[in-house]
Amino acid sequence: MSESPPSYTRVLAVLARNSFVRDMNFRGNFLIEVITAMFWMTMMVSFYLLIFQFANEIGEDTGWTKYRFFIFLATTMIINGLMQAFVLPNAAEFSELIRLGNLDFALVKPIDTQFLISFQRVNWSGYANIGCGIALMIYSLIHLSHVPSWLEMSLFVVYVTCGLGILYSLVICLASTSVWMGRNQSLYNFWFYITTFSRYPMEIYRGPLGDPLRLIFTFMIPIMIAINVPAQVMAKGLGEAESKLAVFGLFATMACLAISRWIFGLAISAYRSASS
Amino acid sequence: MAIIEINGLSKTYSVYHKREGIAASIRGLFHRQYRSVHAVRQIDLQVDEGEFVAFLGPNGAGKTTTLKLLSGVIHPTEGTASVMGYVPWQRQTGYRRQFALVMGQKNQLWWDLPAQESFRLHQQIYQIERAAFEKTLDELVELLNLQGLLGQPVRELSLGERMKMELVAALLHSPKVLFLDEPTIGLDVVAQHNVQGFLRHYQQQRNITIMLTSHYMKDVVALCRRVVIITEGRIMYDGSLSGIIDQFGGHKLLTLQFSDEAPVDLKNFGKLVEVQSPRAKLRVDRSSVANVLGQILSKYNLVDVSVEEPPLEEVIAEVFASVNGMHEAELNKQQVLRNAGD
Repeated sequence: MSESPPSYTRVLAVLARNSFVRDMNFRGNFLIEVITAMFWMTMMVSFYLLIFQFANEIGEDTGWTKYRFFIFLATTMIINGLMQAFVLPNAAEFSELIRLGNLDFALVKPIDTQFLISFQRVNWSGYANIGCGIALMIYSLIHLSHVPSWLEMSLFVVYVTCGLGILYSLVICLASTSVWMGRNQSLYNFWFYITTFSRYPMEIYRGPLGDPLRLIFTFMIPIMIAINVPAQVMAKGLGEAESKLAVFGLFATMACLAISRWIFGLAISAYRSASS
Repeated sequence: MAIIEINGLSKTYSVYHKREGIAASIRGLFHRQYRSVHAVRQIDLQVDEGEFVAFLGPNGAGKTTTLKLLSGVIHPTEGTASVMGYVPWQRQTGYRRQFALVMGQKNQLWWDLPAQESFRLHQQIYQIERAAFEKTLDELVELLNLQGLLGQPVRELSLGERMKMELVAALLHSPKVLFLDEPTIGLDVVAQHNVQGFLRHYQQQRNITIMLTSHYMKDVVALCRRVVIITEGRIMYDGSLSGIIDQFGGHKLLTLQFSDEAPVDLKNFGKLVEVQSPRAKLRVDRSSVANVLGQILSKYNLVDVSVEEPPLEEVIAEVFASVNGMHEAELNKQQVLRNAGD
């Protein structure tokens, strides 16, 4: 047995492989999940096509015209897909592991517990959403006659990762509360509420109701950054104001990850395990 | 040399005291009453390298909690512990590489996948070199007679086969210390026997340190020389199996074979356990065995007589029952005092 720490990439590869083998065991379930994802994308695109019959852009003078907004929608799908593939099933399971006392086995393994809990399962059907998102993005970019530069594509990847980091942090913090609450089944509801807010360009949050919402969900719980910044990069490029937001996004991601790591640590310390 | 050292270890849980009924449930939303449950109280224990120690105790005695504390799964309320020089709840990687935890009532293998897929994951997590992994796996599979089952999904294995796979998963990284929490629970006699045989062989061969909790005395008798009895979080006894009878077995069993019918006044000499005339079994206080036997011999004609220790299980059951009795008496006393206060 080697004394060196485990290769996290290899562990992740085995976890992904095992999840794939498991998903393929239940191919009917897998197919239904893929079909549901495609149906959801079709519904979303159809709904906004309907809206764009009556409006030229989302919000007045926001610049989010039809195909730019479809890039925003595609970014939402990609981040949602990544969350569904990697984060949400594990966070939901983390909650159950705490409730049933099955976290014991994760705690005794010589590997970072947060890593093991966060990536234990990979839900491969979540990739259907990612595939749909990429297809919609390419389609929209073609219509905009815009070929993104390498810098834009790199920044997009960086900010999608940041968005994932922010949303992951929120979800893992919520799942961690199961240690104190005994049970927390609001995870998927919470996810739905969050994405409802972050699913639209932040420019529409204006006025006496919109401004506080925008400030809260940008600077206190920075979920608006998660989708808005990468979508801006691809659809409109970063102006001066957006660049400032992008820099803030990097710090916000680091802060969110640090806070989630701290809360996760507190939860593990307070873990009581269920009696056997 | 002690590989496990425990000093004054305690674990207290605060448990929500839920009252019955809908009204009480609604009140519980706003005001909750908690009570303290002392799962482990001031335990001191030393275990030497290569020892196979059994933890015996009734349900809720604190056996599993102690194993969880030593595995670093939970943090103690107070006290210290050291296993192989590590403080378990600091959960250092160096420590986690060198021990394993097996729980008979919990499953760590992927339910829908063949066990071999979980073993590969363990290989990566524990950084086991390929050759060593293959060798250990082959050895364990052969010892546990699991050939042909590695490719079968865990959910399709029998309970006994599943427990054997759990043992393989726990031993792949060749741990120096093994914590076994009721590893034979729910298994049939044959599967229990197989698991016991494997554990005995493996422990002797590798000289690893094992702490075992079990409700089955057969596990304990077959595997452990040292027994720790724990009740209500406190260690009541720490020593050999035979020493339990010396310390807690307050009586002996006299089996008397009379030349004629068994006499009717035998109950005057002790507690009558069984009468199958002309044979009778009598339970007599340890201190008065010689006196009682003398009286019977002088009064009746005996063909045969034997004096036996009571069965170990019976003695342990009596120890547990006496503790429960004390506990109930204490609760009753508290209730009486509360009522008097009201």
